[in-house]
Amino acid sequence: MEKRLIWRGIEAEVSNISIGESFNYEDYDIFFIGGGQDFEQGVLLKDLQTGKAEQIKAAIEEEKTFLTICGGYQMLGNYYKTWDGQECEYIGALDFYTIGHKERMIGDYAFACDEADGGMIVVGFENHSGKTYLGQGLRPFGTVLSGNGNNGEDKTEGARYKNVFASYSHGALLPKNPRLCDHILKTALKRKYTDVSLEALEDTFEEDANSYMRERLLTNK
Amino acid sequence: MILNHSSILRIPRECAIITTMKIRTLIAVAACKISRFALRKIGKGGTNAPGKVILKIYPQVLKVLARNVKTIVVTGTNGKTTTARMIEQSLQESGIRYFANKSGANMLSGIAAEFAMNSTLGGRCKYEYALIECDEAAFKTVSQYVSSQYIVVTNVFRDQLDRYGEITHTINSILIGIKNSPEAIVCINADCSLSVSMIDEITNEVIFYGVEEEIYKERVQEVSDAPYCIKCKTEYEYDYITYGHLGGFRCPNCGYHRPDTSVAVEKVLECTPDISVIQLRLKNNSYTAMINLPGGYNIYNAIAAAAAGVALGIADDVIVHALSSFEGGFGRMEKFTINGIDIRMILIKNPAGCNQVLNFLSNTEVPSLFVVALNDRYADGKDISWIWDVDFEKLTTIQDKLTEIWVTGIRADDMVLRFKYAGVPIEKLKVVKDYDILIQGMISQEAPVYMMPTYTAMLDIREKFSKNFGFKDFWE
Repeated sequence: MEKRLIWRGIEAEVSNISIGESFNYEDYDIFFIGGGQDFEQGVLLKDLQTGKAEQIKAAIEEEKTFLTICGGYQMLGNYYKTWDGQECEYIGALDFYTIGHKERMIGDYAFACDEADGGMIVVGFENHSGKTYLGQGLRPFGTVLSGNGNNGEDKTEGARYKNVFASYSHGALLPKNPRLCDHILKTALKRKYTDVSLEALEDTFEEDANSYMRERLLTNK
Repeated sequence: MILNHSSILRIPRECAIITTMKIRTLIAVAACKISRFALRKIGKGGTNAPGKVILKIYPQVLKVLARNVKTIVVTGTNGKTTTARMIEQSLQESGIRYFANKSGANMLSGIAAEFAMNSTLGGRCKYEYALIECDEAAFKTVSQYVSSQYIVVTNVFRDQLDRYGEITHTINSILIGIKNSPEAIVCINADCSLSVSMIDEITNEVIFYGVEEEIYKERVQEVSDAPYCIKCKTEYEYDYITYGHLGGFRCPNCGYHRPDTSVAVEKVLECTPDISVIQLRLKNNSYTAMINLPGGYNIYNAIAAAAAGVALGIADDVIVHALSSFEGGFGRMEKFTINGIDIRMILIKNPAGCNQVLNFLSNTEVPSLFVVALNDRYADGKDISWIWDVDFEKLTTIQDKLTEIWVTGIRADDMVLRFKYAGVPIEKLKVVKDYDILIQGMISQEAPVYMMPTYTAMLDIREKFSKNFGFKDFWE
């Protein structure tokens, strides 16, 4: 995201907010929360309770842009229940919950974004044992074309709410989905500057990588 | 006296079982030898398939075959093969009779095949020792059949998340393997907080090995695979870091820390593109030792091998000499010279290993051509996201060491993207998916080549070299 802004002459500053560090959501435009190991979840929960959970919820409601992946996505929901029944309460910023299973959903996958986001086909890699079920009013990020997505049952992938983009896709997600990356950047730019157009970049490498995996996953089915 | 037919034919039950076992063993071993011979005759490798055959015929065969031999297992995330080759050198120079599994056949079927190949039809091992490199996830299963006398754990790093899910699964698999061999002496990397955590749950005798100071003056920026104390989840403090999460770790909260070592690198005296020289402590004596491969990761492999030597009771001078005389194994920094161009092949498979290769490359003298071959078959790891955790950004600071970067393999398109976003100028990047065109290109230019393939890409390219330029086949 930083590179694609800088290449367009838009200054970008990245700050790492770590465990134990507090922050004021109003100082930032885009938030990224990545994944992690189940083992480290306990460390996370303690930190969220020091005020971070409130900051994140407020930022989301005020339409700040969020990209959250896997564990980062899960923690925005209401709760996470492990396969042996232990429940841990999460932020509750978005209406969904996740249930852990013994089998992991691992592999390359592809999903189609909503028309409102541009309808592009996204290729990524999922690796999660949690099955996420979206609440009634919560829009998914995309429709699964190949692979599992949220739960391997209802063909939904991720979640979309205001300017939150939540997904199970590692990959990494953005490099070979340049139109998605630019779309996410635009939501943040629009909120800050209203009139926004991003000049096109030379994306041959990106589109090649995207079409290679699209062909692999979506043809010969 | 008339012999009753039924009394002649009634065989005591124990004899019947032993006889059945012997017959099944014989059939299984014979089937293995025949199928490997046939497969190799038609040029099809025959490394693992024969093992699958015998496990189908007689699932318990490996247990029978492993009974009358002393087994040394080398496992862990990075460095298994090189460490095993270094141990092999010690065994050779001690005159010890052993067999070893080669060429990455380090899972159950490959290991079963090797045991069968090195046994008589009666199931007796022809050698005194078995030196077995064992995949860390497979160790859990293999150890149910093979009870070992010596276990060497190189390290635990994040690797192939599609196979292992998480790093704790790797630790658990190795731990179960160790518990299945309660008599084994276990050599553990004291600098690895993940490996060391296993000792709470084992009763085995342990030999710790480690490095006592920094190795690199300048290191890449790395993501640690284990930043938080595995016992109390507080962030570790370090007296020194060698690389990744390895070093003098200490938990400021619960006191969990790097244990003392009986085998150690006291000082790193010299690092060149071809070798390292260290001051090596074996129990109570110090020696100056040359390691015949470069880089910090090979320093660790060397002391893992030295610890195994100590466990085996091999003489100090033999251990030290073996480190200098052994030749780097298959694919791991192998050099091919074609048309006068030196092509060095270094296997890559995870962030830690790849970062070490970059550390090493930033110390080269002459500008070189880098070629990265990224595959995503099962053996390479189907999840290629690890390339985003390697500090390729460092390449922008060593531009003068690079002529160009060429990218090949199944996921070449993703790889070139990594370099683009790392800040490498597009003019220096080239995607060449066809191996013949790639090889022609490499030998038609002037610079020495450092090729970094993932596992199956290495096999494919090596086969090309072999066919076109006559290098030895990989199972020799």
